[in-house]
Amino acid sequence: MIWQQLLNGLTLGSTYALIALGYTMVYGIVQLINFAHGEIYMVGAFVGLFLVTVWDANLAVAMLGAMAVCMLLGVLVERIAYRPLRGKSSRLSPLISALGASIFLSTLMALIAGVNTRRYPAVQDVGSYALGPVQLSSMQVIILLVSAALMIGLQFLVAHTRIGKAMRACSQDLDASALMGINVNRVISYTFAIGSALAAAGGVMVGVYYNAVWPYMGTLAGLKAFAAAVLGGIGSIPGAMLGGLTLGILEIMGVAYISSSFKDAIAFGILIIVLIIRPQGILGEKINKKV
Amino acid sequence: MKKRNARNWAAMLCLAMLVALLPGCGKSQSPAPAADTTIKLGFLGAKTVNNANYGIPGEKGMKMAIEEINAKGGVLGKKLEGIYEDNKGDSREIANIATKYATVDKVSAMIGDPSTGLTKIAADIAQKNQIVIFSAGATGTGVVEIGDYVFRNTLLDKFAAPSVVDWMINTKGWKNIAIITSTNNGYSTALTPVFKTAIQAKGGNIVAEESINDKETDFTAQITKLKQAKPQVLVFTGYYTEAALLMLEAQKQGLDIIMVGGDGLYGEDLKKLGGKAVEEKVIFYAGFSADQPSPETDAFIKAYRAKYNEDPDMFSAQYYDAVMIIAKAMEAAKSSDPKVFKAELAKLKDYPGVSGKTTFLPDREPLKSPVFLLTVKGDKFPALLEKIPTSAPQQ
Repeated sequence: MIWQQLLNGLTLGSTYALIALGYTMVYGIVQLINFAHGEIYMVGAFVGLFLVTVWDANLAVAMLGAMAVCMLLGVLVERIAYRPLRGKSSRLSPLISALGASIFLSTLMALIAGVNTRRYPAVQDVGSYALGPVQLSSMQVIILLVSAALMIGLQFLVAHTRIGKAMRACSQDLDASALMGINVNRVISYTFAIGSALAAAGGVMVGVYYNAVWPYMGTLAGLKAFAAAVLGGIGSIPGAMLGGLTLGILEIMGVAYISSSFKDAIAFGILIIVLIIRPQGILGEKINKKV
Repeated sequence: MKKRNARNWAAMLCLAMLVALLPGCGKSQSPAPAADTTIKLGFLGAKTVNNANYGIPGEKGMKMAIEEINAKGGVLGKKLEGIYEDNKGDSREIANIATKYATVDKVSAMIGDPSTGLTKIAADIAQKNQIVIFSAGATGTGVVEIGDYVFRNTLLDKFAAPSVVDWMINTKGWKNIAIITSTNNGYSTALTPVFKTAIQAKGGNIVAEESINDKETDFTAQITKLKQAKPQVLVFTGYYTEAALLMLEAQKQGLDIIMVGGDGLYGEDLKKLGGKAVEEKVIFYAGFSADQPSPETDAFIKAYRAKYNEDPDMFSAQYYDAVMIIAKAMEAAKSSDPKVFKAELAKLKDYPGVSGKTTFLPDREPLKSPVFLLTVKGDKFPALLEKIPTSAPQQ
C-alpha cells in the first residue's frame, strides 16, 4: 500500500508544484503574492473543458489551448490590476488588488458557467496498469510526465535563454536591471505568462484526472500551492517543485497512516515546523540584511 | 429656496409613506370579516433564490390539496384558502412572513418550511401566537421540541438509517461496512453517528472509517485505504457531488463497491458527474418515489401529472399530505381553532398519505413507512430500487 499511496502523493504533488511555480516566479521578481494565480488555474481548467466539449479537442490540444488563453489572461491581469500600482503605492495595495482580481475571476466564471461541479467527458481512456503492487492509471502517467517535462523546460528557459537571464537579473535587483537596459515590464509580462501557462496545464490535467471542475476550485488549490511555494522557499524555482511534491506526499501519507480527519492539519503542521526550523523554506536563500 | 424645496419634498414623501402604511396597520387591528367564511392556511417556503427547488413543488402540492378539499365542499362547511408568500430561503423573510400570517392573516396553520433552520424560526413565532405549524421537510433535531403547536411530516434520519442498515445486514448480508464522513458538512457529521449506532446495534462491523471534505477532489488516499480494508459496502453520509467523485475514484482504482447514503445524495449532479460509476451502485433513501405507486399514491401522481405536466417529488407529496392531515384533524375536532384541533392532530395514527404511512409518536415525531431506496438506472433518476419497511424505533 505504501507504494500506491506514494504514487497518489506524487500525482497530487506535481499538480501543486505546477501552480506553485507561478507564485514563486512572480514573487521572485516583483515580491508580490499573486492571489489571482489560483483563479488562472481554474480558468485553464474551464478553457480545456470548453475545447473538449465544444470542439471535441483531444487532451493535448485542450491543454495547449488552455495554456495560450491563460498566458494572455495572466498578462492582462498584470497589466490591469498590478502594473498601475507598481512603485507608486505601498506593498499592500497590489496585494489587495490581487485579492480583488481573484474574486472577480471566480465570480465571473460562476456567472458564465454556473456554480455546479462539471465533469470532463472521457478524453483519455482510463487504462490502468498493474506494476507489482501499484495500480497506475494512464492519467497519472500523463500528469507525472507532462509535469516533469514542463518543469525541465522551465529550468532550461531560466538557465539558458536570454529572457531567462533577464528574469534572473530582475529577481536580483529590479532597479539595477532597468538601468542596465533590460525592459523590466516586458520581463514581468513574460513571467506572468509563463507562470499562468503552467497553472493552466495543471488545471486541465486536474480536471481530467479528478473529473471535477468548478468556479471556486482555484481558491483551495491556490492556497495549497502557495503553501507549497513557501515550504520550498518562495522565490526559488526548484524549491516550488520540491515544496509541491513534499506537500502532496505529506497530505496523502497523513491520510494513509494517521487519520483522514486530520489531513490538512498534519500537512500544514509539518509545514509550520519546517518553517520554524528553516524560515527561508527548504531551498530558499537566506537573506542577510545589511545593518 | 432650492434647499427648502428639497426639504418639503422629503417631508411630503415621509407623509405619503405614513399614509400608505396606515391602512395596512388599520386592517390588521380590525377583525377581518372574511376570516369567518374561510379557513386560512399559510405557505412557508422559497419560490425564488435559495431552496426554491423545494418550495416550488411544495406550493404545487399544497394548492392541489386545497383545490381537492374545496371541490368536495371544504372543511366544516368552509372553504380552505391558501396564502402563498415567498420567503426566499432567508431567515429574516420567513420571520416577517410568519408574523404576518399570525397577526394579519390570522391563519389556522402554517405549512412548511422544507428546511430545518427556517422551520425553527417560524415555529418560535407560531408557538408564541398559538398557531399550528406543520413542516413538510425539516429533518434536523430540535424542531418539535419547540412546543405543542409544532408538527412535521417527513422521513427522519433516525428512523430511516436504522431501517437501511437492517436491509444492508439482514437482507443483503453486507456485514463489513466502511463509513466515510465529510467533516465540513453539518448534515454528514450529524448522520454518521446515526449510522454507526445502527450498525453496532444490528451486529455489523465497521471495517474502515474515513473522512473527506466537501469541495475537495482528491480522494485517492481514502480509496486506496478502503481497498485494503475490503468492505462489502460503503456508507457515505455527505452530498451527491462528493459521492460521485468518490465513486469515480473507486472505479479508477478498480474497487467495485456499492455506496449507501441518506437523501443528501439526492441530486441531479450525482448522475451527471458520476455517469457509469454510480449507475445502480449508489443507493440512497428517501420518503417518496413516483415509481410503483400504492393505490393512494397512484391517484395523486396521475392528478399531479395532469395538472402540472411533471412528476411530483417528495416535497409536493409532503405538502399535499400536510393539508390533508390538518383538514382531517379539524373535521375530527369540529373546529378550525389551532388551540382545539392540535390535540386531534397529535393523535394521528397510520395515516395513509401519498408520501407514505404516517404515525405521530407521543413526542409528536413522525414515524413514516415505507423507506424508498433509490438509485440511478440508465437515464432514469431517481429510480426505485426497493421499498423497505421502517423498523420500529427503540425508545
